[in-house]
Amino acid sequence: MKSYSSIGRQEERAAVYFILPAVTSLALFTFYPMINAFIISLKEQSLINPVSEFIGFRNYRDLLVDPKFWNSLVHSFHFAIFVIPVQTIIALSMALLVYRKRWLSGLFRTSYFLPVVIAMGVASTLFKLVYNKDYGLLNSILSTFGIPPVAFLSDPSAAMYGIMLLGMWKAAGFFMIVFIAGLNGIPADLYEAAEVDGATRMQQFFRITLPLLRRTMAFVIIITTMDAIKISGPVFIMTGGGPGDSTTTAVYFIYKMAFLQMQLGYGAAAAFLLFVIVMIISIVQLRVLKSDVEY
Amino acid sequence: MNNLRIGTLLRWLFMVIIALVCLVPIVWMMLGSLRPRNELFQYVSLEWHLLVPVEWTLDNYRALFTDDSKPFGLYIQNTLFVAVVVTLLALWFNSMAAFAFSKLKFRGRNIVFAVFLSALIIPGEVTMVPTYMLVHDFGWLDSFQALIVPAIISVFSIFLLVQLFAEVPRDLLEVARIDGASWFGVYARIVVPSSVPALITVGLITFLGQWDAYLWPLVVINDDSKQMLQVAIATFTNLEATEWGKILAADTIASLPILILFMFLQKYYVQSIVNSGIKG
Repeated sequence: MKSYSSIGRQEERAAVYFILPAVTSLALFTFYPMINAFIISLKEQSLINPVSEFIGFRNYRDLLVDPKFWNSLVHSFHFAIFVIPVQTIIALSMALLVYRKRWLSGLFRTSYFLPVVIAMGVASTLFKLVYNKDYGLLNSILSTFGIPPVAFLSDPSAAMYGIMLLGMWKAAGFFMIVFIAGLNGIPADLYEAAEVDGATRMQQFFRITLPLLRRTMAFVIIITTMDAIKISGPVFIMTGGGPGDSTTTAVYFIYKMAFLQMQLGYGAAAAFLLFVIVMIISIVQLRVLKSDVEY
Repeated sequence: MNNLRIGTLLRWLFMVIIALVCLVPIVWMMLGSLRPRNELFQYVSLEWHLLVPVEWTLDNYRALFTDDSKPFGLYIQNTLFVAVVVTLLALWFNSMAAFAFSKLKFRGRNIVFAVFLSALIIPGEVTMVPTYMLVHDFGWLDSFQALIVPAIISVFSIFLLVQLFAEVPRDLLEVARIDGASWFGVYARIVVPSSVPALITVGLITFLGQWDAYLWPLVVINDDSKQMLQVAIATFTNLEATEWGKILAADTIASLPILILFMFLQKYYVQSIVNSGIKG
């Protein structure tokens, strides 16, 4: 008995050494900054002036009446509400086209995934040129179909869609892989049984595939939502939030406040509000998406 | 029968169109980097030379590497250094933590793991300002430590490895323990060697994450001689007269190594996502 507990204690001591680096790093670079983010958000703090003072919730009160903050949220949500359904449908379609082992399906799968591997910085500079009104690739192709040139990045009403298109081009392939994993998890005999019962392809998709993909779908939608609301990379590189703030998303607003206008407290408060909003949405989505259908 | 054939035809049509949408911008980028300056803007209709250069040249690459005010070779070197160091340290420390969570019994294990997982919902964008101040207080601004140290531990990597380590039976480890191996020996000689595909996946994800890093380097690195690749490429487009040929060359060089790396390692990557239980 005594020897057992000493072995157990040895194991516990080993465990502490194994997780110590991770615990230290998480505490220092995730949890401490998280708490600090809240504290800073209650301060008037700037990078230039080292003296900071507590001002309570004034940053939050100012934010709630700051039309630029609201606009940035609207832009982030505009992005999310468009991209979540469209990208999910595209990713699922891609997965359905190539998930079975058929001739060349592996090749197609690889080519669908390649944009995921292209770095956001590279993709953003590339698409800046692809979108060019006079000699960009996209307008060259569109003009062949008789569509007049669109200034995807300098027209305030089109710029957000330019960013959405790039975002989906880059991300769809990743979620395709997740859907493929889900599709391969559906037992083949279900389809065979449905075939025997004379179910059409359509019926099989809506009665078997979609219901059994529910958990995969929940994962994809929740992750897409979180990523979409936090979209910022292409905004930095392609538009700088413009033209006329039309693509200033929430994260870009935070960056602008904290690091360009040097108002760290104000930026931190905006970041904290964004975090709360994303949290609430994720929780609601979890509730809604995970409610029924167990298999 | 006829219906079936139309269905197959449609399926192929969609597959090819999606493949074109995914690939054409990348091919256009690579071939565009091999064009002389004036040619890039000459062909603007759907024809062969929209993609394929009339005159092939390496001038863009030459210009890219000989511009002393924007030392592209140095940016690659910096990024490669940071990405490799982060990847190696990340593989080591994340796999150690994952080993403890999946194979060792200790008090409070589930609670500590739950706290770890809760970090997944804290976005880096939210903690960016205080982390910046912390790094500032450490005196790490404009140094590689600022890029490397906070990037090593990844809860997502730990989570993925815990899922994948589950395939190594604990009995095997007990046997090694009875034979006198230390827990570190068990980790280093049994778990690590039998989880190579999982480690390749996590390594690949970490490396790509560093190679792609943009926002954090933009915030903490001002010294141009320490700049990272993506930030450098992005600044190319902000110059007065944007030299698109050079940018396409930079984009191509930044993409080719990871495209090739991925081609070789994709089967591990895909397999790990399938096995990780992400699918729910």
